[in-house]
Amino acid sequence: MADLQDRKMKDAAMRAKINQKLVETGERERLMELLRTRLIECGWRDQLKQHCKDIVKQKGLEHITVDDLVAEITPKGRALVPDNVKKELLQRIRTFLSKQSSV
Amino acid sequence: MNHHGCQHLNEFKAAKGTEPFRIIHTCFIACASADARRLKAAHCRCHTCNQPAFRLHACLHCVYFGCYLDKHIQEHARSTNHNLAVDLHYGAVYCFPCGDYVYDSELEDMARSQWGKASSSLGIKERIFAPWEPNDTETELLRKNPKRRKVEVASTVGLRGLMNLGNTCFMNCIVQALIHTPVLRDYFLSDQHDCQTGVVKKCLVCEMTRLFQEFYSGVRTPHIPYRLLHLVWTNARHLAGYEQQDAHEFLIAALDVLHRHCKGSNGLNYSNPHHCNCIIDQIFTGGLQSDVTCQKCNNVSTTIDPIWDISLDLGPGPPCGNNNNSSNSSPGSGYSNSPGNYEPTSLIECLKRFTKPEHLGSSAKIKCSNCHSYQESTKQLTMKKLPIVACFHLKRFEHSTGYHKKISTFVSFPEQLDMTPFMSSSRNNNNGYCNQIVQESAKSLSCDNKYSLFAVVNHSGTIETGHYTCYIRQHKDQWFKCDDHMITNASQQEVLNSEGYLLFYHKQILEYG
Repeated sequence: MADLQDRKMKDAAMRAKINQKLVETGERERLMELLRTRLIECGWRDQLKQHCKDIVKQKGLEHITVDDLVAEITPKGRALVPDNVKKELLQRIRTFLSKQSSV
Repeated sequence: MNHHGCQHLNEFKAAKGTEPFRIIHTCFIACASADARRLKAAHCRCHTCNQPAFRLHACLHCVYFGCYLDKHIQEHARSTNHNLAVDLHYGAVYCFPCGDYVYDSELEDMARSQWGKASSSLGIKERIFAPWEPNDTETELLRKNPKRRKVEVASTVGLRGLMNLGNTCFMNCIVQALIHTPVLRDYFLSDQHDCQTGVVKKCLVCEMTRLFQEFYSGVRTPHIPYRLLHLVWTNARHLAGYEQQDAHEFLIAALDVLHRHCKGSNGLNYSNPHHCNCIIDQIFTGGLQSDVTCQKCNNVSTTIDPIWDISLDLGPGPPCGNNNNSSNSSPGSGYSNSPGNYEPTSLIECLKRFTKPEHLGSSAKIKCSNCHSYQESTKQLTMKKLPIVACFHLKRFEHSTGYHKKISTFVSFPEQLDMTPFMSSSRNNNNGYCNQIVQESAKSLSCDNKYSLFAVVNHSGTIETGHYTCYIRQHKDQWFKCDDHMITNASQQEVLNSEGYLLFYHKQILEYG
């Protein structure tokens, strides 16, 4: 049990460190730009935009909040990201990390 | 969307101005320097739970960062009555009393200029895909034309037959293929051709613009391409008359004329033919690398030539033979390479043969630039640069010495094609990545060189007389057969089982250059 707890802590620390490196070097911005481009290319953005419009239409503009919309589209948005986009991003992050000696 | 914020934001701006927003934005959202990024990386954590959470928000009133999802920023707003916060990823301002993000044009302008600085400091190009916002002229046009059409999966807009004007099926099938070339369609439908010739009626690019309008107008009766035919006749004399013509020859002539008529519209220096930036060159031009290795000193001399299509031999082919002669200003056509004497039965085999090292025998000695003597050598063709649209020409019409015949062998071709093995970089792949992980993942992920089939031109009949038809793809996976004025449904299997004369593939992923 203690082991599991320990590992979770370590994982969180590692994640924080990686995130910090990504921000520091500006790589995070580059990845965001790449992701944005890929999601537009594969139609993800249009699809999600349409989905948002449908939800707003269905519930009425007056009765919907940002939180509702986020809660509704997040699962769908995640599910719709194509596997090869995820793979490409993962690959880019791996390449980046392999060049960082200090992590 | 309201661009004047909300009452609460306006009150805040009246009391404290835009400076708090600007400081947060430049220091923690869009950083334009390495120092700022270092600070951002160190400090962007929730002040309550100390996590670098998603959707972190910064209080606009005091120094406090809090997670939105875990409601730490909401708690802060409630307990301190600080009712405005900035999203630290996107820079949008959230108003707690309104329960919504609010948009203020003054703050948005600041944010935009700051994003620009941040991107350029990292060498990221300006965002190509800012959402379209119609300007005044466009708003006016939209108001005048209230009819909107949404393109659904079942929509047939874009499909239209073409009348045969007397043995013009060679032209019709190429027009269908070009009309359904995705990148070309996007170019023409977004009205990007700015005609510089001054004589619209004589410009083939302007005629293509009109053709695209015709195809996408929603009209279902066949279109009569008499103006196009006239332009082809006046610009490519060898295709004039009511004779039967070769569709491949027409394709090359059409690309050549389009390329010539585009010139002058791109403001670039076009004295160098290899650096043309016209839409035709952007889409169709690839780079073919030819490596000639001297057998004596192993010196490799490399040349790269622009090409618009790849012509592939089908027959057993002579043991030796080369016919590269392209000295005109437009990228050449009809590159061929035919070592070996077997008959390929698939596109992949044709490409393997095309890129195989070929021994230039004693009858074709070349002067080596290194050892300055005439030597036998080997020559290998590979793809240095892949075009966005790859046209493969299966050389079914053989005009060898003494006889002319059509080769009707079935050559299978895939719906998805990976060009990686035929790239110059695969020629000697010992160099490059040294990291094992990178190499392995790169292999499984070489989607950069992957292509999808979108049009196939077929010829039925003999070398003297016959008929051209074309299969084209609509949307992602719907196929249609275009037989002059007739358009019928087709299955993908039917397309892949067809004989195939010209095969059109487009890249699955576009890089932005």
